[in-house]
Amino acid sequence: MKKTSNDWRSHFAPGGYGVHLFPEFEKRAKDAATEVFRVKTPQEGADVVLELARSAGARKVVSVTSPLQQAAGIEAACKAAGIEFYGDRDSIAEHAPTADIGISGVEFGIAESGSVCQDVYAIESRLVSTLPPIHIVFLDSNLIVAGISDAFEIIAKVFDRGYVTLITGPSRTADIEVVLTIGVHGPIRLVVIAVDEKP
Amino acid sequence: MAEQNRNIRKEIKEKMQQEPLQVNLGKFVERYPVLRAAAMENAGDVEALREAIKKMKADTVNRIEEIADRFEAEATKRGVNVFRAANGEEVVRYILELAGRHGAKKVVKSKSMATEEIDLTRHLREHGFQVCESDMGEWIIDLAHHRPSHMVLPAIHLSRFQVSELFSKEMGREIQPDISYMIHSARDYLRKDFLNADIGITGANVGIAETGTIVLVTNEGNARFATTLPRIHVVLMGYEKLVPKITDAGLILRMLPRAATGQLLTSYTTLIGGPTPVMVQREGRWVEETREMHVILLDNNRLKAANDARFKEVYQCIRCGSCLNVCPVYGIVGGHVFGGHTYAGGIGAILTALISGMSDFEKFHELCIGCYRCTEVCPGKIDIPGLIEELRVRAVKEKGLPFITRQLFDNVMANRKVFHSLLRAASVAMKPLASGTNKTLIRHLPLFFSGLAKDRSLPAIAERPFRDRAADVIKRPENPIGRAAFFSGCTMDFVLPDTGESIVKVLQDVGYEVVFPMGQTCCGKPVSAMGDLETTRKIARINLEAFEQVQADVIISGCPTCVETLESYGELLKDDPKWRDTAAAFSAKVREFSSFVAGEYEKQGRMQKTTGGPSVTYHDSCHLKRVLGVYTEPRRLIEAAGCELREMKDPDKCCGMAGVFGLKYTELSMKILGQKMQNIKDTGAEIVACACSGCMVQIQGGLDKQVPNVRMKHVADILAESIERRKNNP
Ligand code: SF4
Ligand code: SF4
Repeated sequence: MKKTSNDWRSHFAPGGYGVHLFPEFEKRAKDAATEVFRVKTPQEGADVVLELARSAGARKVVSVTSPLQQAAGIEAACKAAGIEFYGDRDSIAEHAPTADIGISGVEFGIAESGSVCQDVYAIESRLVSTLPPIHIVFLDSNLIVAGISDAFEIIAKVFDRGYVTLITGPSRTADIEVVLTIGVHGPIRLVVIAVDEKP
Repeated sequence: MAEQNRNIRKEIKEKMQQEPLQVNLGKFVERYPVLRAAAMENAGDVEALREAIKKMKADTVNRIEEIADRFEAEATKRGVNVFRAANGEEVVRYILELAGRHGAKKVVKSKSMATEEIDLTRHLREHGFQVCESDMGEWIIDLAHHRPSHMVLPAIHLSRFQVSELFSKEMGREIQPDISYMIHSARDYLRKDFLNADIGITGANVGIAETGTIVLVTNEGNARFATTLPRIHVVLMGYEKLVPKITDAGLILRMLPRAATGQLLTSYTTLIGGPTPVMVQREGRWVEETREMHVILLDNNRLKAANDARFKEVYQCIRCGSCLNVCPVYGIVGGHVFGGHTYAGGIGAILTALISGMSDFEKFHELCIGCYRCTEVCPGKIDIPGLIEELRVRAVKEKGLPFITRQLFDNVMANRKVFHSLLRAASVAMKPLASGTNKTLIRHLPLFFSGLAKDRSLPAIAERPFRDRAADVIKRPENPIGRAAFFSGCTMDFVLPDTGESIVKVLQDVGYEVVFPMGQTCCGKPVSAMGDLETTRKIARINLEAFEQVQADVIISGCPTCVETLESYGELLKDDPKWRDTAAAFSAKVREFSSFVAGEYEKQGRMQKTTGGPSVTYHDSCHLKRVLGVYTEPRRLIEAAGCELREMKDPDKCCGMAGVFGLKYTELSMKILGQKMQNIKDTGAEIVACACSGCMVQIQGGLDKQVPNVRMKHVADILAESIERRKNNP
């Protein structure tokens, strides 16, 4: 899969990130209407996905892969639960407009703003994260940086060309009578599954 | 909006009666400071951040050509087509050619002020394009055929009921006026436009030179759609969006969402560098191709501004809209009235002048009352009222003043004797009109002559001006610690002579010998505010001559606007070899009354909270607080005078009178004053104090009608009374 960088991790400032920043991240993310689930193992993450799919009545999932998702065995779990699953580029292009859930991975989280940084150079990553009403992302809970500046320090090191988005909550607007309304063009729900154990 | 012959007074009346605008804007203006403050809580040192943004942007504009070249080179290297457009016509032509090559006719747009500026949507439609405005606010005003009335919330002037009508008509079914339902219906309805579009057009919030990258900051997700689904992406951005490095973009991002909407980051902050993949259907199969990416750098007079020593400051603008959100005038009339073709508010006046020209600017620049509120919040630290004043000066230089004003300035303002005898005559003529005590309704007094006062009561000119009383109150202390020359200003001299007396008493009480040079006249502000610097210089010379003779250590004024003007004499006369040095020495001696006395009280160990006085609420004069930076001193003096200080809501919000504005736009001025009255009333204080003679006149006028049991006093009056009390009960 095409990426802006295949090596985000080696550009984190030593000591500049860690799970100790997770509580702050979680608070800020929730303030921005993100749903946050912290789990120990990737498999527990798969359970969260299935439960979400069940409660939302989801029938169709499009997903790009990441090491955490692979470890969680998302594809097999979905299929076993009778949910349509599309994971390769062409089928994502075909099904993303009608899928109920998109699943993808993110590079890191930002404590200051509760955002996640996603490398979406590949077209399938963007289709998965923009079109379906529910967007679920897998995050390594150890990879939280403190501030927006830290995030841009990292981006400055990896970014030459490509497409990167810092996502902070679901899409929103206040364009009618200044009333905050969640769910405009982008996803209506953003779910972060933060996994503690490395796969 | 009639752009040709605007009747601003009529527009104001209409807007003030437009309920949705009043309700929505009112709600937003109330909520904004709270949201902003909450968002700034974890931003670290906000002042340092503003300073860093200002510096980075100022450095960038100083080498804008170099930065633009770098951007172009880096973007081109990565496969982007970069086009530099001199104006809107060139943009339209470029897009038409591009679309022609691809047989493209369907465009989806995300929000961009630059496209508004050049009416891109209209032009493309005229050429047969199907254009979808995908930002919710933009789509709404597009359906209504309106212009945006706010940078961030373009449809803020419409109600849910109006939107529901627009949506029902467009979607061909009844859309109930439930906001959430309306938004979700629009989401479904617009989806097809995204999926079918050939070209996505976006703006850019930042353009990064080192990598030729653009940054998009959105909440709705439409810009990500517009850069993901269509096979061509066109970016239109002004040169002011360029910054050197990715980390510079990070700097802006720490501030922009916080300042714009009180968010820590918006839902989507997107960096795009070079063309990205796109999926297209070819013969029933999905294939990946490379999206064409075009970046159009729009000049439209921006580069001219970049080369103007004063106006390159506008490059420090990050288009956050904060200046609108705190502007007392904008908060009532919105951007359709206080705005030009595209840009609203004070910064809008400046951008309009630079981009569209002076005639568009001249129609609404007077709505800026120079209260400086915007300068406290602006992330780029732009001197918005200062730049507007500079534009006024340039307009006068180019076109001259209207005939009557010219006559008035030449024959009255530049001649003290004529001016003062007219004021005395006014006192006699007005007698039957002035009801009871000194009821006055004019701030910059001399405007009384300019024939603009027809909508309101005339100011009550005191029977005996201060200059006739000076000799009675001036008593040389035994061992004076210095000599203070008192500059009264017209208002204190002719309208508030009692306060003039208080000032003298307080200065004498701290041990100064006070002198009052009789040759002094108006400070010149009413004239300089109209852009006439030549007459201002003449007035300055009259004052310099008067003060040269008294050899004072300090020159004291109880009017912050006078202080500012007197302090500017040095600069004003720097090219006048005869007066240059005198003017500089004079300006260096000028002190504002309350901060000067506070310093003396401090030195003399008198700055102690005491009791026994009345309850007082304090109004911050715009200029005293934001230009001179004085706001703790008057409060501490009030407490030292034994008064109980009760803070009102928004103590530093303008009282609504500023020169020509208060006279010409009476309803608006009165509405701003009305808010002040309510806030004063709510404190339950017996007295409202301030340290500015201009505000005193305006607030007194409001109190008389609306809160008759509260009295208006200058801090000098409060101090003089406490000195009196102390003398009587030692
Ligand atoms: S100085 Fe005051 S009136 Fe003028 S733009 Fe700024 S906030 Fe508005
Ligand atoms: S002038 Fe300052 S406050 Fe106004 S939009 Fe520009 S950056 Fe924001």
